[in-house]
Amino acid sequence: MLRVENLTKVYPNGTQALKNVSFEVADGEFLAVIGLSGSGKSTLLRCINRLIEPTSGKIYWDDTDVTAAKGPEIRKIRRQIGMVFQQFNLVKRASVYTNVMSGRLGYVDTFPSLLHVFSAQDRARALANLDQVGLSEKIHVRVDSLSGGQQQRVGIARALMQEPKLMLADEPVASLDPVLAHSILKYLEQLNKERGITVLCSLHFLDLVHRYATRAIALKDGELVFKGLPQEIDDAQFKSIYGQEAERVSII
Amino acid sequence: MTASEHTLAPQRNRTLFFSLLALVIPGSSQFLMGRRWRGALLFLSIPVLGYIVYWAQSYQKVGLVTIGSWTTSWLWAPLALFWIWNVFDARRLGNGQESNSFLGLLLVLVILYVVAWNVTQIKPERLVTRFNDAKSVATNLVNPDVITITINGEDRICAWQCMSEYISDTLAGRPTQGPIRASKTLLDIIGRVEQVKAPAWEVKLGLAQSGGQVTGFVAGSLIETIAMGLMATIFSTILAIPVSFLAAHNIMSRVPGGNVVYYITRTLLNIVRAVDPVVWGLLIIVWVGLGSFAGVIALTIHSLAALAKLFSEEIEHIDPGPVEAVTASGANLIQTLRYAVVPQITPPFLAYTLLRWDINMRAATVVGFVAGGGIGFFVVETIRMGGYQLYATALWSVAVVIILVDAISSTWRARILADQPSEPEKRRSTWVKIRTAFLVLLGVLAFIYCWNISEISIKDLFAPAPTLGSILHDFVTIDLGPKTLGPVVQQMLITIFQAMLATTLGAIIALPFSFLAARNLTGRSKLSVWIFYLTRGLFNVLRSIEALLYAAIFVFWVGIGPFAGMMALAVTTFGLIGKLFSEAIEEIDPGPIEAVTATGASPLQVINYAILPQIVPPFTSYLIYQWDINVRMATIIGFAGGGGIGLMLNTFFGLLQYHKAGTVVLFIVVVVALMDFASAKLRQVLV
Ligand SMILES: Nc1ncnc2c1ncn2[C@@H]1O[C@H](COP(=O)(O)OP(=O)(O)OP(=O)(O)O)[C@@H](O)[C@H]1O
Ligand SMILES: [Mg+2]
Repeated sequence: MLRVENLTKVYPNGTQALKNVSFEVADGEFLAVIGLSGSGKSTLLRCINRLIEPTSGKIYWDDTDVTAAKGPEIRKIRRQIGMVFQQFNLVKRASVYTNVMSGRLGYVDTFPSLLHVFSAQDRARALANLDQVGLSEKIHVRVDSLSGGQQQRVGIARALMQEPKLMLADEPVASLDPVLAHSILKYLEQLNKERGITVLCSLHFLDLVHRYATRAIALKDGELVFKGLPQEIDDAQFKSIYGQEAERVSII
Repeated sequence: MTASEHTLAPQRNRTLFFSLLALVIPGSSQFLMGRRWRGALLFLSIPVLGYIVYWAQSYQKVGLVTIGSWTTSWLWAPLALFWIWNVFDARRLGNGQESNSFLGLLLVLVILYVVAWNVTQIKPERLVTRFNDAKSVATNLVNPDVITITINGEDRICAWQCMSEYISDTLAGRPTQGPIRASKTLLDIIGRVEQVKAPAWEVKLGLAQSGGQVTGFVAGSLIETIAMGLMATIFSTILAIPVSFLAAHNIMSRVPGGNVVYYITRTLLNIVRAVDPVVWGLLIIVWVGLGSFAGVIALTIHSLAALAKLFSEEIEHIDPGPVEAVTASGANLIQTLRYAVVPQITPPFLAYTLLRWDINMRAATVVGFVAGGGIGFFVVETIRMGGYQLYATALWSVAVVIILVDAISSTWRARILADQPSEPEKRRSTWVKIRTAFLVLLGVLAFIYCWNISEISIKDLFAPAPTLGSILHDFVTIDLGPKTLGPVVQQMLITIFQAMLATTLGAIIALPFSFLAARNLTGRSKLSVWIFYLTRGLFNVLRSIEALLYAAIFVFWVGIGPFAGMMALAVTTFGLIGKLFSEAIEEIDPGPIEAVTATGASPLQVINYAILPQIVPPFTSYLIYQWDINVRMATIIGFAGGGGIGLMLNTFFGLLQYHKAGTVVLFIVVVVALMDFASAKLRQVLV
């Protein structure tokens, strides 16, 4: 279970990106995080694995205090939390294999990993995970020769190498066209349903939230303005989250 | 389980077959398994390395060991290991495993660097034992002869210390040690106002009498250099435009017989481009005699070839869309050219011309080494006299001019290549028109002035020395006899190795500095931004001066020879590659760093998996590129005492042995063109 208590983030330049945000995510949930651009979604997700240092507040992951962890401890926590990014964040010049393997780094000894030496088990794991996302043929291909959707699947395979219990996804489909968006989200849904991985996913389109999420939270200017079931977001709710002028659009 | 057992036996046979094949013909298995580049490189590298080791052993006595009565070089051992590594590589690939190139690369590098170290006659102890010489040169270099002070009727150089005393004396109202003035060196470099023979136009306008004296400005060697660079750029651009059409495949393939013209033009351009302007200078002085004019011609020839190649590539990459659209609107050929072709090629042509202007200015500073005229000639004279403070003045003034040219050229280039404002939208006010007219007038005047001081004489061009014919004939009668060929090959190899060491040394030293000069690392915070500007400034100053001009320093420090040349090349390399490296670092994408950190990786692992893969390919590519440039530079470094093939070429020209000089030039052309081709291909694979 993930518990966030009174999380606040103030950037060095004074921007209040998160204000007193509290919520809980039960194991096995698919939680959508929605909100306008700049509302603090990325900041929230990155505070959970401490890519960004929270200013105050607490985050508990299975009763470990994430905010108090240091050095090697924080790396132990991070390796249980997979992350997928909007821009994929893959090393474009490296092969699919190397990129996927980099998801295993939190588990292996530093020295052999510097020489790119991995155990047979880990290599088999990489193949299995690539198989899961349907890319096992592309294992030795350079990432920059893949399409956007394929790159995001490599990103998912990399996160799967961590054998995560929690998956953070920061607008994983915002750079992709609608058809690919569904295919990527279906992979996340599958992981959520079949492997019981808890998913925290920020999304832009409400109909994607309705389709995939089991629960949703909404941020507005760093404040939590909604917490509940996706179906509960009615027109009034929608306008308060996205502003009065907003129109509901749907993709596909 | 059973499935894998079934495939095991044929798998074993396959692996054995590929291992054996690689043992007999290195690289062949890799080639057959679809690793074309790996295979081809292995196949080529074994005989090439074999020749190098053989050559190093028999001519340069590198790594000799005696076993009983048998003397050989230990370098055969790493070569044999490399051969064996190739077999294991084939085996692993045959097993379907990824093979690591690290070990093979290491063995090759051991061979190359050991040979390079020996043939370049590296004597690191000299850097220490002759350190005092270096110190005295360094002191002279930072105290250039700019101001002269007269103390008790005696003229002395007034450097920093003397100047600061003078200034503080003046400010405090104390009497100074003596009067000061601009030094003779400074006037020689920049120019002086004195009585000169009245120029023709003043006589015509009735401002002066024929044969009378008027007060005029006599340009110094630096102004002469600027004029040479400018004239060469203008001439070569004008000449390159028509030539580039002959070298553009998409145009020539439409003309009957055009393909032949295309291939001939391309080949000629590649040959001409491979010969450095300084070497062209040696040939041109035979034609028009020593002087700035010879320099202008030499620069023009080389620049013409380089520009025509770039222009023609630009023509080949023209977007056919607009041509189609304009033709479809019913425009005739001229209109189509004007509205669909010219707008497309003008910006890149201008940008390349500006780039070439920068390059030509740099080349103009050294072409005087052989052609006479300009600051290069001035430097040769000061070095001959041992006047290192005078030499320092020349270096500093070159640095100032080239840094300015570099800055102007790159900002203009950026502006041209950025989006162009469409002409009709820009309202032309009267003020803009006046300004344009004024600039055009200024340009014309500058052109005439430069024409005059670079002593351009069309007459000389058509009245070459009577011996030219026989000399040219001698030159193209390339001497391929073993007596000439042997030494030429030797010197060529030395030159290549010299360039390789210079690239390595310069790059190793530049590496840490390049991180300091990356805007995304040091340029962000106010605390460290001065480090950014300092290192960038250091790179810019050092790369603004041609290696040939540095050579004198190292000749004085470590003695004449390839070692001195290597050091001089390393200094320019430091500046050039430092800049390129730091730009590569600035382009690092922070995304992967974030992603790998999020997996729980340690900082070392983050560097290894997210940062290194992003910078190693561009760094390697720049290294190869720099080696390519350095081989070109190394072919002329011998003109300033830096050893290698340049020294040999200079000697042959000096002894009037033109047939041998022809051999050297042929080798330079072949090697430089090959390096150029190989480096472009390798870089393509890498990035
Ligand atoms: N490194 C930073 N320094 C200062 N301010 C920042 C930084 N990163 C984000 N911000 C600010 O914090 C606020 C929240 O940003 P965040 O990126 O979390 O929003 P978001 O909801 O993910 O938006 P988007 O949908 O555009 O990705 C914004 O106002 C942003 O400008
Ligand atoms: Mg965001």
